[in-house]
Amino acid sequence: MRCGTVLAQRSRLGPDTALVFSITGLVLAPPAALLTFVSAGKLGAVRMSHLFTGVGSLWDGGMRSLAVLVLLCGGLVPFTLLGVLATACSRARLGFAIDRFGLLSRTVKVLEHWAIPEVQVLAVLVAFMKLGSVVNVTMGPGFWCYSAMAVSLLIAQHSFDFDLIAGCTRASSDPDSATRS
Amino acid sequence: MLVPANLLPVLSTESSGRNSSNTIVSGVIELWRQGLWALALIVFTASVVIPVLKVLGLSWLLLNAHRGAPRNPRRLTKIYAALDFIGRWSMLDVFLASFLAGLVRFGEFSTVTPRSGIVAFGAAVVLTMLATKAFDPRVFWQPGEVPQY
Repeated sequence: MRCGTVLAQRSRLGPDTALVFSITGLVLAPPAALLTFVSAGKLGAVRMSHLFTGVGSLWDGGMRSLAVLVLLCGGLVPFTLLGVLATACSRARLGFAIDRFGLLSRTVKVLEHWAIPEVQVLAVLVAFMKLGSVVNVTMGPGFWCYSAMAVSLLIAQHSFDFDLIAGCTRASSDPDSATRS
Repeated sequence: MLVPANLLPVLSTESSGRNSSNTIVSGVIELWRQGLWALALIVFTASVVIPVLKVLGLSWLLLNAHRGAPRNPRRLTKIYAALDFIGRWSMLDVFLASFLAGLVRFGEFSTVTPRSGIVAFGAAVVLTMLATKAFDPRVFWQPGEVPQY
């Protein structure tokens, strides 16, 4: 609040929420990437699909730029963002100084624009409905882990606040400040 | 990029010897004909409405920025924030094509192959996302004014 104007609002959830959900997302990331995403069957033939199967198909089909885009936006960037969020929150929790305009902060700003796993979840659901009448489609554990990871990332991003965790760092490094406030 | 994205086929389906190619709009019409109206609306919004809205919205914001000192900077800033938020949902079609290409590969029974239209569409989505990121809504505000998001 400055001169009667709200400039920014803090998350109603506590400073540890981002840490908890980013670690949850990181735990869910390996099964999401490795376990079966969706399986489809037609006339006795069954085909298993994993998170990056589509990327491989695009790459093999010569659409390499599109394959890289899907790989980044649906996999690598969300996973990296979870890692960066967990690192920033853990550092603050352990009392290390966090710079508001430092590398971690800038990395979060860049990555959060391109991490869009929730759109990939919607795309899979659309495909599931679309294919339902043509082939037998079954969701695998990889899809549920990926969906839970996407939700965890959204909550972690929403509750992540550099000012708040920087404040926690200052408070823990200066015990008197807690008494003063 | 949006023109070839909408004119060229994005996916081709080969099922039991029959070959068919779909553009974005013909895919939406096919979903509608199959009775999947909600799905058709989602795909139409994400693949047609949002990209067009984004290009028109950004052009309008740029016009206002060039004119200088707009009368309602707060409203323009809110429009920018809305465009920034909805932009990512255009990636739906790209993820859908990638997913279908990876999953539906049953040889002569049924195979889905992505076509050149989806590359143009992906390029259009990335370019509009970069354009939104490059735009700074602070140009609407006079020096000394507090930007309100």
